[in-house]
Amino acid sequence: MNSPDSSKYHKKIKRSNDIAKIIITVGGYGVIASIVLILMFLLYESLPLIISPSVDEKDLGIADSKANDIIATGLDRYTEVGYFLKAKGQIVFFYLADNSTAYKDSISLEESESIISFEKGTLGKDIFAVGTNKGRIITAEAKMSPEYHRNSRTIKCSFKTNEIYTVENLEENTGEEISSLDFTENEDGFNYWGWVNQKGELKLRIYDSDEEEYYSHNITSMLGDVNISSIKFSSSGELLMVGTDKGDMFWFDLSDPEDVLLKDNWRFSNSKITKLEFLIGDNSLLIGQQDGSLTHWFPVRKKDGDFKFTRINDFEKQNSKITSIQASPRNRSFFTINEDGEIYLGYSTTKSIQLKLDHTENKIISATYSPKADGLIVIDTRSEMIYYSIDNDHPETNLNTLFGKVWYEGYENPAFVWQTTGGSDEFESKFSLIPLIFGTLKGTFYAMIFSIPLALLTAIYVSQFAPKKWARIIKPTIEIMAALPSVVIGFLAGLYFSPLFEKHLITAFALLILIPIVFLMSIYVWKLIPENRRLRFPQGAHLVFIIPFLAASFITAISFAPYFEDLLFNGNLNQWLYNTLAINYDQRNSFVVGFALGFAVIPIIFTISEDALSNVPKSLTSASLALGASQWQAVMKIVLPAAAGGIFAAIMLGLGRAIGETMIVLMATGNTPIMDLSPFNGFRAMSAAIAVEIPEAPVDGTLYRVLFLTALMLFIFTFVINSFAAWIGDKLRKKYARF
Amino acid sequence: MSDKMVVDIGKALTSEKINSINEEKIIIATENLNFYYVADKPALIDVNIAIPEKKVTAFIGPSGCGKSTLLRCFNRMNDLIPDIKVHGKILIDGDDIHSNNIRLEDLRKKVGMVFQRSNPFPMSIYENVAFGPKVNGENSKSELDAVVESSLVQADLWREVKDRLNDSALDLSGGQQQRLCIARALANKPDIILMDEPASALDPISTGKIEETIEELRGNYTVVIVTHNMQQAARVSDYTAFMMVGELVEFNDTRSLFTNPNKKLTEEYITGRFG
Ligand SMILES: Nc1ncnc2c1ncn2[C@@H]1O[C@H](COP(=O)(O)OP(=O)(O)OP(=O)(O)O)[C@@H](O)[C@H]1O
Ligand SMILES: [Mg+2]
Repeated sequence: MNSPDSSKYHKKIKRSNDIAKIIITVGGYGVIASIVLILMFLLYESLPLIISPSVDEKDLGIADSKANDIIATGLDRYTEVGYFLKAKGQIVFFYLADNSTAYKDSISLEESESIISFEKGTLGKDIFAVGTNKGRIITAEAKMSPEYHRNSRTIKCSFKTNEIYTVENLEENTGEEISSLDFTENEDGFNYWGWVNQKGELKLRIYDSDEEEYYSHNITSMLGDVNISSIKFSSSGELLMVGTDKGDMFWFDLSDPEDVLLKDNWRFSNSKITKLEFLIGDNSLLIGQQDGSLTHWFPVRKKDGDFKFTRINDFEKQNSKITSIQASPRNRSFFTINEDGEIYLGYSTTKSIQLKLDHTENKIISATYSPKADGLIVIDTRSEMIYYSIDNDHPETNLNTLFGKVWYEGYENPAFVWQTTGGSDEFESKFSLIPLIFGTLKGTFYAMIFSIPLALLTAIYVSQFAPKKWARIIKPTIEIMAALPSVVIGFLAGLYFSPLFEKHLITAFALLILIPIVFLMSIYVWKLIPENRRLRFPQGAHLVFIIPFLAASFITAISFAPYFEDLLFNGNLNQWLYNTLAINYDQRNSFVVGFALGFAVIPIIFTISEDALSNVPKSLTSASLALGASQWQAVMKIVLPAAAGGIFAAIMLGLGRAIGETMIVLMATGNTPIMDLSPFNGFRAMSAAIAVEIPEAPVDGTLYRVLFLTALMLFIFTFVINSFAAWIGDKLRKKYARF
Repeated sequence: MSDKMVVDIGKALTSEKINSINEEKIIIATENLNFYYVADKPALIDVNIAIPEKKVTAFIGPSGCGKSTLLRCFNRMNDLIPDIKVHGKILIDGDDIHSNNIRLEDLRKKVGMVFQRSNPFPMSIYENVAFGPKVNGENSKSELDAVVESSLVQADLWREVKDRLNDSALDLSGGQQQRLCIARALANKPDIILMDEPASALDPISTGKIEETIEELRGNYTVVIVTHNMQQAARVSDYTAFMMVGELVEFNDTRSLFTNPNKKLTEEYITGRFG
């Protein structure tokens, strides 16, 4: 026993045991670690979507000794050079780095003439108009264009006056004070100026650069007896909004420059309208008021078909009068300034104020966005210039826009919408994950109602009733289905099956009704056969008997369906569904996907539940049969409960597969992200959305991160389902499967 | 009917020269029973046996001689095995159990079975015992309660489990599980109980308990028991059948068979010269 040979042998066994143990342990922990890492990575990529923006403050020093004179400020695209414009017409360009002057110029003004109003034309461009107390409107442009020399970049500053317009007043032959000036220059070459003079008249001047033609309007009479406190053109110039000191709003349509149209007017509060601003896209209007309220409006189609500006959201009320609102040239961000010197940064889609900058010690004289909207420059009463750089990469998403209903521009109601890219930069991205989750669940649901009964009944038949010889053929055949690449299934379903199904919809319905009837009929006929004849069928082979009946029902359905269709549905069921039940029939619909996805899921459910059923000891079946139970009773009362854990696990694994399946849902659905339970239209599943959209998502952009979040959701879904399955399966096994 | 049966069976069995059982009422009888698992290799050869009612009958014989096969013929459990063939007749209460008007479920309700290895269902003790009545259509709760109690009492298990009827049957000891299986069979109110080596997997004390239980059943049920243990056969049975290689060698009342065997083979087997 204790020969040196045997001790050597024992050592060898021990050593290989140890090695195996290490390898298995490392492997196991490795798997867990990699899952955790994937989870962390997905979290890391998607978290920036919901974290609040951060801000960096940089003091640029003193702008000028007399800051009270500063009318406006601006920045170049690279935030290297800024400028400020003073009431006396001087414009000073300076380097942000050291506050040294880069370039100086001025608008030539008369003596005792000074600028009293200012407005930038197009978002993100430094073309502006100024109005003076002598009735002149001067349109000018500050240019800060980069020039490259070898490796260095310098910003070249220049200033040019485009046009000087003197408001004529024939009666009094004096100028007008141009207060409340607004100006915009649209892409079609139209310029719009609008202003209010000291008599409270609202005047418009429109210039068509193609036709070189000017149009002038005095629209004071259209407003009635009001005091205008704020005016605003949309950036296209087609809309003009006017607010009064009593809180009245007027909406003018300027699409025809010869004919100004009052579209609507309304009053929603008594507080003076102090500031109006259109956000990018010219849909959303922000209204700031004396009492510090800030409201978000856009036109919504009402029941009578007319559009009305509708109050969408009230932003957090501020403590003092809103003196300025500026829209970001990049997205639906904006900032407001109130009299207390607080700057609020908000976003219209998320309906939230995202950041508050407290500048209360000194009043703010002027503030402006940088052209990329990644910062703003502020000048206060001490002439102190501060540059705030804002880190807000994904202002358009928060938990509410990702998972909640959002009232998007142009929509009649708040809704869950997934629409990530539109025609232009002005497009409001809609990143609700709910339609994707809905799509995934819908596809899974249709797949499961198709596959669970089929797979389970087959498993029961194969494991409990079928002759052994048959089981040996059926089982591997179904298992081989699992090896079918899903792209092949998707391809067949999308390109072959779905047109076929559409064409033979009526046949499919007929079969749905015929098959159960035929099934019952065949059982009845079977019972009519004398017993001794019946017994000649091998155990479980009765099923063959049903085949001719099924074949007969197929032939019946196929040959008679068209007559039915003619008779009942005016010859076309799809059309009939649409006309009568308002059901829209998409060719690639949830039926087709459920069917195709079912094919991917059936082998999983079948294999695992068949194993579970076969593993129930025969002694239990024998015991129940010996107690006078019929074979069906033995299956239902003993075998199924005992295999419940395994069957449950099988269904859950199938569910996990259906949820994660990509190619089939991609190819067999129309990928329309609509939320509708109807089996006759498609959906967009999370997995398909990722596959379709990731190629067009710029790295680290919002869409990119939202897709990562989608992946995270998918991961969590499958993880939760699998864990739940394991847990329940374990419980069931403990309860029923102790044999 | 019973008189007629005695006469019929008597006729059928004259060739076998079994005389001592002619006074008993016969419940199971076979006529030239041949049984094949595979063609050309009979597991039972021309078996003719008449088992008396409400007595304990033991089957003994060397391993593989066909005891279990014969036992399983009585409730047609062999039907679960594919491709078997049965020739000859099996009569229970005078009815051919292979005839068309016998429902298999009814036969098995009437002829209960206890297996060699206890096989309680993975359910509660109560559910195990109530299973038979339930699948046979009994739904009344009070009726089921009564059946469960009386069956457990008869199987000598009631005292031990009456407070834990809802516990899993799998928590019982091996011996208790086997008695539970007996109770489960009894709950169907069968006429006959077939037991295939019911104590072979149990310790001596549990075996003793099973034997006590069989003792209790004597007189109320017909018990047919397969055993390898000749002392056990001698202790519990009224009649004993000795089988060898598929043939019924000798069938007699237990005392006669053990003290005064008719056949030399029987004598050699019971004296332990082979087996
Ligand atoms: N399912 C089966 N398929 C084929 N042959 C079988 C089957 N069951 C039993 N046999 C054969 O039939 C013969 C009788 O078997 P049986 O089980 O009846 O013997 P037994 O007397 O009960 O033996 P033991 O005392 O070992 O239980 C044996 O030769 C056995 O190999
Ligand atoms: Mg045996």
